[in-house]
Amino acid sequence: MVSIQRILHRPETRFMLLGLPAVLFVIVFLLLPIVSVIVFSFWRTESYEIYADWNLDNYRTVLFEGTYLTFLWRSIVTAVIVTGACLLYAWPVAYFIAKYGGRYRLLLVLALAAPFFTGAVLRLAALQAIMGPIGVINMALGLIGLPPIEFLMFNRIASGIGIAYLYLPFMVTAIYLSLLNFNFQLLNVAKVNGARPWRAFLTVTWPLNWIGTAIGITLVFIPCLAESITPTFLGGPSGKLYGSVLGLQFDQTGTWALGSAMGVILFAVCCVVIGIMWLTINLKRSGFTGAGR
Amino acid sequence: MARFRLDRAATPLVLGVMLALLYVFLFAPVAYLVYTSFARDTVWPFPWRPTLAAYENLAHLRAYQEALWNSLGIALGTAVLSMTLSAMGSIAVLKYRHRWRGWFSIIIVSPMFVAELLIGISTLIFNRKVLGLPGNVPSAIIANAVHGMAFGFLIMLAQLVRYDWRLDDAAMVFGANPWRTFWHVTAPNIWPAMLGAFVITFLLAFNNLEISFYNLGAVPTLPSLAWGSLRYGLEAELFALAALVNGVVFLSFVVIYTLIRLGIVRFGYRGL
Repeated sequence: MVSIQRILHRPETRFMLLGLPAVLFVIVFLLLPIVSVIVFSFWRTESYEIYADWNLDNYRTVLFEGTYLTFLWRSIVTAVIVTGACLLYAWPVAYFIAKYGGRYRLLLVLALAAPFFTGAVLRLAALQAIMGPIGVINMALGLIGLPPIEFLMFNRIASGIGIAYLYLPFMVTAIYLSLLNFNFQLLNVAKVNGARPWRAFLTVTWPLNWIGTAIGITLVFIPCLAESITPTFLGGPSGKLYGSVLGLQFDQTGTWALGSAMGVILFAVCCVVIGIMWLTINLKRSGFTGAGR
Repeated sequence: MARFRLDRAATPLVLGVMLALLYVFLFAPVAYLVYTSFARDTVWPFPWRPTLAAYENLAHLRAYQEALWNSLGIALGTAVLSMTLSAMGSIAVLKYRHRWRGWFSIIIVSPMFVAELLIGISTLIFNRKVLGLPGNVPSAIIANAVHGMAFGFLIMLAQLVRYDWRLDDAAMVFGANPWRTFWHVTAPNIWPAMLGAFVITFLLAFNNLEISFYNLGAVPTLPSLAWGSLRYGLEAELFALAALVNGVVFLSFVVIYTLIRLGIVRFGYRGL
């Protein structure tokens, strides 16, 4: 009895008791499911039933039968462009909030999260109602006698705008949180030493905030790559993305094994992106001095 | 010299305008949605002839009520589960300088970097085909909680980095058991962080489509109802429900903000 008491008092035990439930939760309810997707991707589905004969047919279908690869490539291109656009827009905005936000900084950032109170489907439907062919923007243009803006209608640019709409706040928040711990006086030092603003930004601000930026890039790129809701009704017929096709395997055609293989490929691409981002992070170059201050 | 000074004033101005435009972009659909919830015709709600018809219909439409209760149940279950697990995890990682704390943190945060679609289909496959469970609310709660826990954990970490764990040790030295220490010392200090984790995970799960959808089978939620009715055109009732949710959340923020300003509660641990 005494020994159990003593074991319970050890910091090691306390750490395990508190931390293990969360870790086990991830392992049981995320890692095991992903492992089962990987296993299923090598199996075979026939009329909504799945059979355990090991084969590579699903991968052959996805990788060599044109259409799936086209969707995947289209998703990757969309994700790269949308992430790039988010990065270009988020940096100045996050910089403004961090540097000039003053006592309203927190409020300004929280306001970016406020749209999330409404479900993505409804917000996108409203966005469509604003941008679509009979949407507010084009109707207003029509009223004053101007031609409608074509690119706001059902196509890949429209779905790109929709995806950026959903994930841009993540990028701003990630960069903002990084800038919050950035010492802006370093810029004065750079200036005193003769650096022009752009040079100071590229050699001081950017590298010192790269970790936050890389996290932001990853947080936007991954959901963009897997996006299935937005393209389905903003993208029009030519805008279908990999995520939508992947979802169809599960809720309509019932080809789970093929869907699993598509999922594994998607997961692999995500892992490559995370790996690349991980390699670009250099703790010393980022001015990392340990947790906390 | 004059040009230089102009540059310095112009930069924050341009950045500020960019921020303002971002707010317009982010909030225009939400505003449109609230506006349309009062309209007779959701496809072309102009000119403005307000009506409360959609709100009145909500009171006796069973489908919406059922979906609302399911969504609330999923959100509540997810929030409680993710808050508890992420609070325990963050205390473990911050309080005990164990050599595995880096690995634990990475594992707990990792679901954030897995696409929702993948979480949805993989738990569907695992529950249905490996465990043989039917699609229901508990499995949707678990799948959402995996995702929510990562967010909750980060929120807790950010708030608790500066918490002084010696307060807990002091209580223990005076003979409090761990449970008592938590309720009388730790919880009163860290509750704003826990509330933050709760609110965020609640909202994420409430509005989630992709994770819940694959785990629920035929059980309707508000997002899946909206998704299902998209091809026939959205009804004003859905807009009204979303407007109500926005109103409730906004009001509770106003209340919390007022309480903070009046000094009745403190947000975040700021030391003693």
